Amino acid sequence: MSILTYIFGLPLAAAVVLALVPRNFRVIMRLVAILATLASAVLAIIMFAKFQTHFAGYQFEQQVEWVKAVGISYHVGADGINVGLILMGAIVAFAAACCSWEIKEREKEFYILLLVMSGGIIGAFASLDLFLFYFFHELALVPTFIMIGLWGRGERRNYAAFQITIYLSVGALIALIGLIALYLQSGAHTFDIPALTDYIAKNPLPANVQQFIFPLLLFGFGILVSLWPFHSWAPIGYGSAPTPTAMLHAGVIKKFGLYGLIRIALPMMPHAAQSWMQIIAWLALGNLIYCGWVAMRQKDFNWLVGYSSVAHMGFIFLGIATLSLIGVTGAVLVMVAHGFLAALTFALSGYIHEQTGTLEMRKLGGLLFKLPFIGAALIMAAFAGCGLPGFANFAGEITVFFGAWNEFRIVTILACWGAMVIGAVYMLRAIRTMLHAELPEKWANIMDAPHIWRKLPFVLLLTALLVFGCLPRLLTDKIKPSAWNIVQLANPIVAKNADLKTAQANAADAAIKQEIQNIPAGSQSDTAIRETAVKEQQ
Amino acid sequence: MKLEVLPWIILFLPLLSAAVITLFTQRDKKLSAGISVFAVVVSFILTVIFVSAVGWEPAKRELALNWLDIGAFHVDFGLHFDPLSLAMMLIVTGVASLIHIYSIGYMNGDRGFSRFFACLSLFTFSMLGIVLANNFLQLFIFWELVGISSYLLVGFWYEKPSAADAAKKAFLTNRMGDFGFILGILTIWATLGSLNFGALQEKLVSDPHALGTVATIAGLLVFCGAVGKSAQFPLHVWLPDAMEGPTPVSALIHAATMVAAGVYMLCRILFLLNAPALEVISYIGGFTALLAALIAIQQNDIKRILAYSTLSQLGYMVMAVGLGGPTPAMFHLTTHAFFKALLFLGSGSVILATHHEQDIWKMGALRKKTPVTFWTFMIATLALCGMWPFSGFYSKDSILGLAMERHNHILLGVGLFVAILTAFYMFRLVFVVFYGSTKSDHAEHAHESPAVMLWPLRILAILSLIAGFIGVEGIFTRQFPAENAEAAAGFSQYLFAPFIHAPWAASAGLVALAIGFFAAFALYAKADKDPLVEKLGPLSRAMRNRFYFDELYEATFIRLHDTLAAIANWFDRWIIEGACIGFLRGGTDLTGRALRLFQTGNLQTYAFLFALGVAALLFWILGK
Repeated sequence: MSILTYIFGLPLAAAVVLALVPRNFRVIMRLVAILATLASAVLAIIMFAKFQTHFAGYQFEQQVEWVKAVGISYHVGADGINVGLILMGAIVAFAAACCSWEIKEREKEFYILLLVMSGGIIGAFASLDLFLFYFFHELALVPTFIMIGLWGRGERRNYAAFQITIYLSVGALIALIGLIALYLQSGAHTFDIPALTDYIAKNPLPANVQQFIFPLLLFGFGILVSLWPFHSWAPIGYGSAPTPTAMLHAGVIKKFGLYGLIRIALPMMPHAAQSWMQIIAWLALGNLIYCGWVAMRQKDFNWLVGYSSVAHMGFIFLGIATLSLIGVTGAVLVMVAHGFLAALTFALSGYIHEQTGTLEMRKLGGLLFKLPFIGAALIMAAFAGCGLPGFANFAGEITVFFGAWNEFRIVTILACWGAMVIGAVYMLRAIRTMLHAELPEKWANIMDAPHIWRKLPFVLLLTALLVFGCLPRLLTDKIKPSAWNIVQLANPIVAKNADLKTAQANAADAAIKQEIQNIPAGSQSDTAIRETAVKEQQ
Repeated sequence: MKLEVLPWIILFLPLLSAAVITLFTQRDKKLSAGISVFAVVVSFILTVIFVSAVGWEPAKRELALNWLDIGAFHVDFGLHFDPLSLAMMLIVTGVASLIHIYSIGYMNGDRGFSRFFACLSLFTFSMLGIVLANNFLQLFIFWELVGISSYLLVGFWYEKPSAADAAKKAFLTNRMGDFGFILGILTIWATLGSLNFGALQEKLVSDPHALGTVATIAGLLVFCGAVGKSAQFPLHVWLPDAMEGPTPVSALIHAATMVAAGVYMLCRILFLLNAPALEVISYIGGFTALLAALIAIQQNDIKRILAYSTLSQLGYMVMAVGLGGPTPAMFHLTTHAFFKALLFLGSGSVILATHHEQDIWKMGALRKKTPVTFWTFMIATLALCGMWPFSGFYSKDSILGLAMERHNHILLGVGLFVAILTAFYMFRLVFVVFYGSTKSDHAEHAHESPAVMLWPLRILAILSLIAGFIGVEGIFTRQFPAENAEAAAGFSQYLFAPFIHAPWAASAGLVALAIGFFAAFALYAKADKDPLVEKLGPLSRAMRNRFYFDELYEATFIRLHDTLAAIANWFDRWIIEGACIGFLRGGTDLTGRALRLFQTGNLQTYAFLFALGVAALLFWILGK
């Protein structure tokens, strides 16, 4: 059995076990949830360490036939696109389980839902079968609604649960229509993603079919990722969600739509993808600039973080829109980085909420006195959020900018403004109001994270951000070959040019070596390569 | 041990110290300070060893590891050695060592003592990263990191709202500059296909027009970064506010090293700047020098006077780069690092002596009570004002000489006028603080600082005195060969070199100093309050209010941005949320209502609808 099966199977199995545990065994329930997610996270780290870089195919594959008649099989595997996501998902799931202290009632149901959510979403990332891919996502999505409705906070939680349910269900439904249409139109009679991709690469879908399906997937998945202007579910949803739910949803589940776009929409519908890219780039700007501005005006910290997390999706959409090796690699890098960051920020805001009972920034202040650890972690999270080097977000964002610069000049300039200035404005204002200045007397009794177990989730997430921020090649070397495959399918012209530049820069890369041999005579010198590139462009 | 390991140790030792203090030794204040001081002093010693072992121009110029490599986007983490970076390393580690030691005394008893040293170590690491960077993106990374160290240290006393605001303002203003900087980097990368300084220079040497039409704009965009970090007009507003940080921080970050990083960066990438870009740079530098000097003459806070003085001197350096003279710019950067650090440390000693009083009009007659501070402060003042043979004389003279050589009479005039103003505001400060009568109780009971603070002052005083004639300039001419190279050799030749090279500039500089000195003497030698307030009237008020730049930005740029945010927020709440949710909700609602109309419970209606359905079905099937 593939290690991937264990990674997402363990939380799901633990959910079943929990269902059998009597309701008043609180410590045991908590222990089971934490141990299951911990085991899954450790396995994910092992898997990540064993993953072979510079290898474009799937690793840790496992395929078991299931419903032969329509071509559904149990198929899991990891390549550069999802390996980081699986790792991130498993670590965030563990951190979320650790952060479930604040849940004091109906713990049994809560932990079961949390485990289902964790297992479901990692399963969705690991699946290489369209049916399972979608099924696992729904499995993870539905608990979100229940958790917000039952354990949510604030007076508006029912409204929030209602809104997020309708919104995301509609999004998922639209995406489902697109996926079914894709299955039917391809004529391959298989739900297997690699097989489907190969089949479509050889027998491309007609342009009009692509133009019909692609928007369904784009906006269906887009709604799930809070693509502008379909973002208004996110801030209110996260503002009302219990901490672990917000961590898992904003960190991990939200990346599903993006993953779907990269894995399915781009390589299978290249023609439509190319024609939509200009629009996606401008919509991404809606996320980056517009949602950044809205974040500047928020009075509640969770809403601010919600809008900021929506804004960060803009980097990923922009990276995808380039359809280039650099851009797509950067997008995947931001997906992983943002997962850690969003989870960290919501965990911290949840801690502060637990202590003070409010996240209204005007009422807070000077918290750094009382919360040196949590405050320092929050400052680091804020800096990661405004793209400070050393954190993984910077590496991803800068890669996206370099990828997008030649394709979308104006969008990139404005996106830089969003990243460099707007993000810094709202983050620093929040720190200034919440952590700095005098401590109001009513908060004199709040407590910092008392022991290592309470600190663990924060330390873990911060470490992940720092490790990938300082050594981004841990991820990019894995992402690159797979992103390269997708870019080649999605955008053969750009791919060729990018490849030529790549050939100059790094001939050692295996995926690229082959391409150099394909270049016609004259590939001896750099100038010759460039000339060929220019000619081909013309 | 191989020599190549040394630079890595020099760079990472301070980072290690910051990490160890943050993670393990927060509680033990003495140990934290010890670790931090040890790290930076060892870095300094190793730098000296490294430089003496490999010389100013090492055979192996670069050490590099690959940091990121995606197609054409290739970034190294590299170290670059040339006279420029090696000299800067010595300055940074040397001055930082002294200031670390001084801080032990100055920060004694502070609640965040360990945190302070952790941040200082982080800063030293980041600054060394800028100095050693071999490519644009690495430079940018450390550029941001010094920004963050500055943020943490300016806002060190975060319980003070003014300090917290100043930290935020410093970071955001810098970010505006960095916005231009990153666009410049993207432009250069897209045009020339590389980020490495060496590779870029090679490309531009072999084809000077390789940048084509974007040459000027790329140069100016990169310059934006320097405008932010070196606080040039129009982004100069953050530096005076940054004085909210502890005084050693002002000395190290906001006088000697970080704010000079902009000048260093311009020298590093000088090959990218074409004539039009250089012209803009020179005038921005000249204007900043003038503006800041004018504001300085009516400030009353001892640290703010020095902050505006720093702005003004940075303006000189940027002007020198713009005039095509990296050597004078770096020469002035070096001497300035010594005497301005000394001035700030001296002011810190004064502030401590008078129990945290910063208003110069509440000091007075400190000459006798704090003799070491007074003498060292005096040396630094003379150096800053350009008195022969103090170091500032030589470096300032080389800039004025450059302006003369380029026949740029406007900037020469500006330079001389600023020299007058410099002497004026500095001697105003000296007279009011150290001479005259004591003007407050605190000044009455002033006492000299402890030895741990005085020794750094003494060492910096010696450096401020001699740095002009020990051949510092020669290090930089190795990197940027002078056009009319006549190498001075020997001590006496160095000592009198300016009078031989450019006698006019040298004597004009001295005359400017004399004018400023006598004006200050006449007005302030015995003054108890500022006579200029009445004499200059509204002009004085404008100077005290920094010519209203903060208010201007507040009313225009910041308000515009906030308004846009408010509009976006309104739109989001009422249009987007309303429309999308309204649509979904209304749609569901409407369908429900519509469907309810059919569920009337009336048998006739059902029968009618049933018949209608059958008819439609029949029509659809048969109609084909």
